[in-house]
Amino acid sequence: MSAAFDLRVDKALADPQLKIALERTTGNARRKRALAVAAWPDFAGARTAAAAIKDHAIEHMAYYLDMFERNALASGAQVHWARDSEEACAIVVDICKSVGAKTVTRSKSMLGEEIGLPHALAAAGLRRVETDLAEHIIQLANETPSHIIWPAAHRTKEDVAELFANFHRDKTPTTDIESMVASARKELREDFFSAEVGISGANFLVADTGAICTITNEGNAELTTTPPRVHIVTAGIEKIVADTEQALQLTRVLVPSATGADLTQYTSFHCGPKRPGDLDGPEQFHIVLVDHGRTRMLKEMPEMLRCLRCGACLNHCVVYRAIGGHAYGGAYPGPMGSVLTPIFDGLETTRDLPNACTLNGQCKQVCPVDIPLPTLLRGWREKSWNGGMEPVKTQIAIKLHAFAAARPALYRFGQSFALPLMRFFAQGGWISKMPLTSGWTAARDLPKPPAKSFMAQYAARKGTGQ
Amino acid sequence: MNTQTRPRVGLFVTCLVDSLRPNIGFAALRLLEAAGCDVAVPQAQTCCGQPSFNSGANDVTVPVARQTIEAFENFDYLVAPSGSCAGMIKENYPELFADDPIWGLRAKNLAARTHELLSFLVDVRGFAPRGAACKATAVYHDSCSGLRELGVKAQPRKLLGAVEGLELLAFEGDETCCGFGGTFCVKYSNISNSIVGEKAANVRASGAELLLGGDFSCLMNMAGKLHREGAKTRVFHAAEILAGMAGAAIGEEN
Amino acid sequence: MSARAAIFAAIRATRPEVATPQTIAAQAAQCTAQMRASLVPLTGDDLVAVFTARASAEKVGATVERVAELADLPQAVARYLAANGLKTQFALQPDPRLQELDWGELEPNAPLRPDSAVAVGLALGGVAETGSLVFHSGPTAPTLYGFLPLHHLVAIDAKTLLPRLEDYARSQLGEPAPRNVNLITGASGTTDIEGVLARGAHGPRRLHIVFFG
Repeated sequence: MSAAFDLRVDKALADPQLKIALERTTGNARRKRALAVAAWPDFAGARTAAAAIKDHAIEHMAYYLDMFERNALASGAQVHWARDSEEACAIVVDICKSVGAKTVTRSKSMLGEEIGLPHALAAAGLRRVETDLAEHIIQLANETPSHIIWPAAHRTKEDVAELFANFHRDKTPTTDIESMVASARKELREDFFSAEVGISGANFLVADTGAICTITNEGNAELTTTPPRVHIVTAGIEKIVADTEQALQLTRVLVPSATGADLTQYTSFHCGPKRPGDLDGPEQFHIVLVDHGRTRMLKEMPEMLRCLRCGACLNHCVVYRAIGGHAYGGAYPGPMGSVLTPIFDGLETTRDLPNACTLNGQCKQVCPVDIPLPTLLRGWREKSWNGGMEPVKTQIAIKLHAFAAARPALYRFGQSFALPLMRFFAQGGWISKMPLTSGWTAARDLPKPPAKSFMAQYAARKGTGQ
Repeated sequence: MNTQTRPRVGLFVTCLVDSLRPNIGFAALRLLEAAGCDVAVPQAQTCCGQPSFNSGANDVTVPVARQTIEAFENFDYLVAPSGSCAGMIKENYPELFADDPIWGLRAKNLAARTHELLSFLVDVRGFAPRGAACKATAVYHDSCSGLRELGVKAQPRKLLGAVEGLELLAFEGDETCCGFGGTFCVKYSNISNSIVGEKAANVRASGAELLLGGDFSCLMNMAGKLHREGAKTRVFHAAEILAGMAGAAIGEEN
Repeated sequence: MSARAAIFAAIRATRPEVATPQTIAAQAAQCTAQMRASLVPLTGDDLVAVFTARASAEKVGATVERVAELADLPQAVARYLAANGLKTQFALQPDPRLQELDWGELEPNAPLRPDSAVAVGLALGGVAETGSLVFHSGPTAPTLYGFLPLHHLVAIDAKTLLPRLEDYARSQLGEPAPRNVNLITGASGTTDIEGVLARGAHGPRRLHIVFFG
């Protein structure tokens, strides 16, 4: 593995607090999802339907994006297009500057993380206030999100209590979650109203109305997007859906998969700026539609464009649960992140991500839109192999093994030497150390092999008529 | 039973069983014969090619897969005591030869007749073990490929349910990956260690005397970890119990 | 080439559009129908009962009561305020149907503020299966009434309940899209600390729903 990935993994594995925090959050998520799915007799049918809804929009993406744009413009929204993250960030920063913004509130958006928006806002000298509770926590800790639904999944309540005691005006020490939530509510209240610009993402872009849909539990999206003079939406172009009905239908599978609820507390559609007679709402409404690799995915892995960002694959991934989100080194961790990050950052530096996976298939099983994640991950391995990016040692080992495996006589000849040799290193029934097996024996013992293989024993029995 | 109704089964031993645990191969032979099959063990078999395929090395996997197809395509069935290897042949060979009209067809043809041992015994042969006994408590680990690619879940429990004296206990994380993952466990040994560590803890917490499963690869991983930790849990392939061949457990000397 | 043109060119390079809008609409309808066919059946015909069961479930966390008519709302509000030890002042959504009620001793003239304790509103409608209230923003329904107060008390006409989310979406076909649609399903909550649900993150900590009619 690459040195950078290796370091991050080692750091994560050496942190016992991380394991506790991850297990609390993902364990709760797994239990709640299981209950929600068990209460839905034809969840399998709903999954198939949800995949079909996304596939339909992806198949007719240009048609629906064009329709969305026309309707959004008609509502008074301003629509911007960005090929990559630089263009997207520049558009957002320019809008902020054009209205003389000093403070910007943000409700959680993974696309924002993906394109590096927090950094771009800071570089432009804007005060950024994260309003989602978890994003608030990691902003205080000066960290990046480690989970796409629970950005602070790597922090225990004890960690959060310490952060709040250090940074909040209310210093009352408490590890009671309700009290901590109340403290954050107080802390962020003024910022909602002092910001000139509020930035949100979008869960869906609704083609037939030109509205964007946000789904949140806290209510921070509405407080981020309603009081400021300007609301900026950043969204990937794959968020397009045909109509309001399909947007709502997708939330049906998205929300139970994420949190186990039927619906989030707030499902909101935002369509254009403040209208005559409105007592609240933004004067300007901007939508920034971002490609950033999506048109490439349309060609190479269209199934991945179905992804609703529910996080179920993270919660059920044994690797994610072992190393947490930061070890992945990208905006998106877990199985979906290991598929996406090579698109954004290039495979050369990220080939560990699709390789560091047991291909156990649980991610695909829990995916609400049936994305064949293991197949896509293996697809990256194929590209890595074909591009000669695998370590030379791995290439030699794989080629040698396959060479011998395709030649049974040679294979058995080699085996007839290897087995007795391995037995030489055994103590009792086990080998706990021997040359060339450190990958295995570092973690566990290896059972002592028999003197003769099954095939040799079988041939001998056949020969003696047994 | 006349020979016409006895299906001809080619036993795909799997490379790990061949090299490290022949007893599972002999147990499979015994069970298949007891289930009324004519069993042969083609000599031209080695490995299913999964290590290279899952490393993305399709080019070097092709000759290995062709050899397996040639060795087994004339049997009524290919049966393997592993969901992982059976899954490779059933699901991934057709994928590997997707662009090859001739080998693609041969791969699909073999895939349609490929089965994991325990599900084959129940679903295809309607087999129930007779006279098997094992007085012990056990937990059963569902191996990922068997469970998710091939739907192996109820079959081993049904078979083991017929073993006199054997009590199957429920345990936390029975469907969770053990961290083996083929080459993963050596390429990312530290992550694998963390995953199998959790698995071993769950097995120990169950208090079961035996850990059973249908894939030697996973069993070897978990047994190796349990032994490293000094646990007394004995680990067997389910076929060994069913065939009455559960003498020495994995890592115990004969 | 503009970013827009480049993006559309890249999409059309792999997905040249050949279908007619009619065909596309028919395909979309098929997907929608497929999801409808997979839904959990509704339990019973009484939509208020379905709504109430869902909205008052622990994971939604609202409280629900029923009065005979809208004119009974002031007494319901007075009971709620007294039961929760709240002052008689609150912010009232500027809907004429609420404004013209006889509020008696209560003081429905507090301005809506970031730290308002109580706001009383009127929902446009509701969705029974999910226990959701529907609000459309407009001069008589500013968005923030549903988000600023700690206690949000909402009156809803039982006749406006629709069975499913899909029914709501269909009821809006051909209508102009409101600036804001808020489907509110329970009180504000967060699971951001260890996945444990806590109420009142930024929106209301309590949501009390009063059916009338």
